[in-house]
Amino acid sequence: MKRLLVRLLVLSIGLIVAAYGAIFIYPTSPAWAPIALAVGVNGVVITLMAVGATRHDTLPKSLVWTFVGLFLLCAGAFVIALVLPPQEGPGGRLFLGLPLRTAIVLYGVGVVPIAVLPFAYALTFESSTLSEDDLVRVREARASMRVRDEAGGRLA
Amino acid sequence: MTPMLLQSAIPGLASPGIVAIALVYFAIVATIATWATRRTKSASDFFVAGAGVGLWTLAIAKMAATLSGFAFIGGPGLVYTIGIGAVFIILPGALSNALGAWVLAKRMRLLGEARGLFTVPDAIGARYRSRLAQGLAAASVLIAVVGYIATNLLALGLVIDAIFATGLPLGIWIGTAVILAYSVAGGIMAGIYTDVFQGSVMALASAVVFVFALKSGGGMENISRTIMAADPDFLGPWGTIGPMAAISFFFVFAVGSLGQPHVVHKFYMLRDPRQLKWYPLLMTVALAVTQLLYVSVGIAMKALVVGGDIAPLAKADQATPQFLLHYTPTIVAGLVFSGVAAAIMATVNSFMSVGAAALTHDLPIAFGRRVSDELRVGRISTVVLAVVAAGVAQVSGTLVAFLGIFGWGLFGSTIVPALAIGLNWEGATRAGAIASISTGLVVTLVGETLGYFKVYGLPAGVSISALALVSSLLVFFVVSWLTRRTASETIDADIQIVMNA
Repeated sequence: MKRLLVRLLVLSIGLIVAAYGAIFIYPTSPAWAPIALAVGVNGVVITLMAVGATRHDTLPKSLVWTFVGLFLLCAGAFVIALVLPPQEGPGGRLFLGLPLRTAIVLYGVGVVPIAVLPFAYALTFESSTLSEDDLVRVREARASMRVRDEAGGRLA
Repeated sequence: MTPMLLQSAIPGLASPGIVAIALVYFAIVATIATWATRRTKSASDFFVAGAGVGLWTLAIAKMAATLSGFAFIGGPGLVYTIGIGAVFIILPGALSNALGAWVLAKRMRLLGEARGLFTVPDAIGARYRSRLAQGLAAASVLIAVVGYIATNLLALGLVIDAIFATGLPLGIWIGTAVILAYSVAGGIMAGIYTDVFQGSVMALASAVVFVFALKSGGGMENISRTIMAADPDFLGPWGTIGPMAAISFFFVFAVGSLGQPHVVHKFYMLRDPRQLKWYPLLMTVALAVTQLLYVSVGIAMKALVVGGDIAPLAKADQATPQFLLHYTPTIVAGLVFSGVAAAIMATVNSFMSVGAAALTHDLPIAFGRRVSDELRVGRISTVVLAVVAAGVAQVSGTLVAFLGIFGWGLFGSTIVPALAIGLNWEGATRAGAIASISTGLVVTLVGETLGYFKVYGLPAGVSISALALVSSLLVFFVVSWLTRRTASETIDADIQIVMNA
């Protein structure tokens, strides 16, 4: 699992590099560059989360779906705002007080994840993040390192 | 476009009500700091609050350290100038706390448990068994910290001058002296408990002003309609800066959040790592509430200006002060300016702590030495850093602006790959970490220097910070891949256990 996620992370970084490369190559930024940047940036953020949440090379299914859904939501919100025609002029359509494209980005990326991510973290904490056994292992490792240090076995 | 904290004078606020509120605020800070200082007895207390902090304290202190005065003054000014594009600086807050929790919180806390570490460069040194990597990380921390402290002290001087009419030079020294008093005596122990009070003031001030901002323009829909009639791009999804620049802000502030040492090192301080369970929820809600002012004041002021209710602002930094003076009662203005001072002081204290730790702990280790009395030398280092930064802040203008530009980006590009990815991926190598830290340092310093002196600027409004971050990420993976045979050699057994936990 982690190998796949690291590859996705590198792929996302590649999209960002391509997007920034385009602004140096072309006189004006091509239409695909901000789309590549949006997908790449959200790819980096979400795959980093998934890499961090992976334990013993597995990721619980609930978190897989959470991360896939969030990537689609966030990257999708950016891409929709990029491809929809502008409607921000006088008389333009509003959604919850903001122009439609702006609302899609701000509520999609800035609000919805608040209602999802912290709970996904809390609800999978004992099973997937930190258990009593983990703490015991770390404390045992510390004790054995101390013994080794006292015996002069470890380089500073 | 580079976000700056606060560069220009703000209108005089020396009314008795505001002065009284500010005095009460400083008295409460002094009381809390005195109490916390009595509990500071060791280097561990001084740098990581004895690893005995509870979850609520950690979350509010991290929020207070994260935001700085930029959220109250510079940020609303930036929104007023470039519209929704400026919101992409705070938009990642919905994701970045969960990101930090999954990627760093548990592993940093367990590293503290396993090795008794207390700095971010410590963690990098331990992960790669490399004094060079630790030293390079410490050097980048130190460079960014001096600039950050100088810009924050300048901003604090401006706020103190506006409230007490002290004049800017004296305002800077008064602000420095107040922060130094509790930072030297109590270190981060005093800082973290004053942060709880300061963070609460910031959240309350922001929530109250948000209500006044919406009321001033007749609700969000009316505000939007007023702006859309005059300046449609302002409320467009990318503001006036375009999608490449706006999404670059999102990139730098989302991924870069994993490399902010004054925020990340607070994970070491948590008393019980199992309390991390509710950390993302607490931190995200606290941050969201405290950022309401950032968005609402800039947009409300734009609507008031284009609607003809108020004259155009001479400088963008005037957005918050002018709004407070015209549209809120004195008590709210006093609360907000205490909130600004609170935000600045909380951030400066945290920067002093990580800067002093770099000087006292990390750099000596990089040179193969250890300081025998880290508590005493830490206190001396804090004074030296503060005096240097306050001296720089006195040179108000270009030098401070230059130093303040690259802090967040330098932290992000030098620390994120080596720390955040390195602690989660066994394939990372010592050479990859050193190469990525060096890349972040060089690209940021050279790029920002060329940009500041207008020798060269990136097209499409993209920031150097974004380019530096993606460059260091790329170099990290490429060099780690090229040296992949050495990957397993650099991980000690206890670090491997922490990485697998």
